[in-house]
Amino acid sequence: MTIIWYLVALAIIAIPFAAMVFLPINKSKPILLVFFLLFIVFMYGPMLTMGVLSLQGTTGSMTLPAKELFSFHWYSELQSTSSVMVSVRQGISKSLWLSLIVAVITAILSLTLGMAFRRAFRGSGILFYAILLSLMTPGLLLSLGLSFLLYYAGIAKGEGTVGYLPIIGVQAVWALPFGFLVMMSVFNRYDARAEEAARDLGASSVRTFREVTLPLIWTGVFGAGLFGFTLALNEFERTFLVSGSIITLPLQLYIITSSSVLRPYVYSLGVVTILISFLLIALFLVVSAVTGRKTTRAIEDDDGGSMNTSAMQAAPSGD
Amino acid sequence: MSSNDNHHAMDEARAEVASAEALESPEVVKAATVAATTGPRRSPLVTLAWITPGTIWLLLFLIAPLVMILLVSVWNRTPTGFDAFAFSVDSYGRLFQTSVFATTLRDTIFRAILVTLLCVLIGYPIAYYLARCVKAVKFQIALFIVVLAPFWVAYIVRIVAWNPVLGRQGVINYFLVEIVGIVDEPIDALYFSSLAVTIVLIQVYVLFMVTPIFFQLATLDNASIEAARDLGATPAKTFREVVFPLSLPGVLIGCIFVFVLVMGEFTTVRLIGGGTIQSVGTLVYDYYKLPDLPAAAAGATILVAVMTVGVAVLLRFSKIREVV
Repeated sequence: MTIIWYLVALAIIAIPFAAMVFLPINKSKPILLVFFLLFIVFMYGPMLTMGVLSLQGTTGSMTLPAKELFSFHWYSELQSTSSVMVSVRQGISKSLWLSLIVAVITAILSLTLGMAFRRAFRGSGILFYAILLSLMTPGLLLSLGLSFLLYYAGIAKGEGTVGYLPIIGVQAVWALPFGFLVMMSVFNRYDARAEEAARDLGASSVRTFREVTLPLIWTGVFGAGLFGFTLALNEFERTFLVSGSIITLPLQLYIITSSSVLRPYVYSLGVVTILISFLLIALFLVVSAVTGRKTTRAIEDDDGGSMNTSAMQAAPSGD
Repeated sequence: MSSNDNHHAMDEARAEVASAEALESPEVVKAATVAATTGPRRSPLVTLAWITPGTIWLLLFLIAPLVMILLVSVWNRTPTGFDAFAFSVDSYGRLFQTSVFATTLRDTIFRAILVTLLCVLIGYPIAYYLARCVKAVKFQIALFIVVLAPFWVAYIVRIVAWNPVLGRQGVINYFLVEIVGIVDEPIDALYFSSLAVTIVLIQVYVLFMVTPIFFQLATLDNASIEAARDLGATPAKTFREVVFPLSLPGVLIGCIFVFVLVMGEFTTVRLIGGGTIQSVGTLVYDYYKLPDLPAAAAGATILVAVMTVGVAVLLRFSKIREVV
């Protein structure tokens, strides 16, 4: 009986794919539009439900129907002095600090690797795959392997002596491919003639990098850092086994959801983290829009025959 | 229109298919990397300086942990952990003492294949709609961002958000019982069940499928599609012989991502499966907690081996297509 239900579900899911294959695009378009809207509901529905339930009053429950809408009770609960909430707030501030450090490290590593990949070098293929490997490594395995390494290095697990380095390490490794790809796309659109001009006018390579290259690409570096921040803030599985006694926000959420009796503050906490993430995405979009415009303008200036102004400024100080 | 022209156009389309498929080979990826070079000439020392920080970081926090898993799996177990460089393969024996690990491994592989297929079935039309049906570029980018945004939400929050949707009193059951009325009793299969885990896994990982397919379809050359259509190919034929083959690299990358990530999945299975559903990931974690670190490492090693085989099969599959 259940098998029949599964087959029915499968057939329904396959409708848009079949429509796409067998119908001309003007006929399949409405079907695909409906499917697209259902997909958006599938992706956002649970979060939206969570959002509504987080706005319940004191008697609110974990499931629908929602009671006593709309109140900010469970948001103000996040500020209470109960021990759970105190550790939640500690988790939030710890996570924010850690993410900031990871952001800086991701930005630096992405920048240096991005610079390296501007020219071919021996072993660039292997390094490229190594960077992408971190996208493909399941979080739990990375965490497990690093915890073995820590054990081997004589740092017994669970005694809280591991410090922040392992967490920062795995989180930056996770963010690195994203930041690296941002830098790759920046350098793809990048016009090297300004650099050459500065070099021709006698600027040292360090000075050229600092005064010509960096001002042109800093928004990309900032974007890589933002990727690092967002990914680190939300990272759970990689951090899981190497955190020692340090409880980040996602770890706190895992502990709460997998042990105690749930109260709707879990939902308000979830909504807060979602809002932080969306704010960061908006920031990233603004920054990348600025980068795009800036790079285009630099190239246009160059094509117009006038030398890039930053190169002009760099040249005299190069002596 | 002569049939000769027709053949010619189809050949051109096929040639493009072949070149797009060739993109998968490592040489081309390498060439693409090299092609991105825009920098001035520089000495090897400068190159070394640029690659050093990233390389050290990757060696320390990515390569070393993975090597460590392999090593610990063949080291001796001690009450608190492992005895370094005391080799034994007992850990693998302990894994297969009972049938639990083998059964779970089979279920995990089955689940990973199922989720991957469903992600293609769901993700492809979504990517296709975004790339081929939305014409205005600004609108397309905006919709793509809307689709992609959940990727940036903490994965654990996305799992928690399923809490009020699944379950006996969840939204789906409420909908089925109270509004549609096709069932009298809430369905138990929606919580702590394989079905629930599968649904959530699809939601968590489908974006890894949508994104590469979208990029592949968005950069697809319209001329070959129009040529095929103008020459009288049916929509189905155009799709089968031009659009789908050209998008295959994206599908392949998506499949590799989803398969590998679902194979190594731990959190969703633990929180949505509620202990009644296991994956290799949760078993590895259980061994880790015992603690039986070598057995955990052995489980992880087998997991990596299966993933590698899976990826190799996927790549092989695409190679066969290229030959045909």
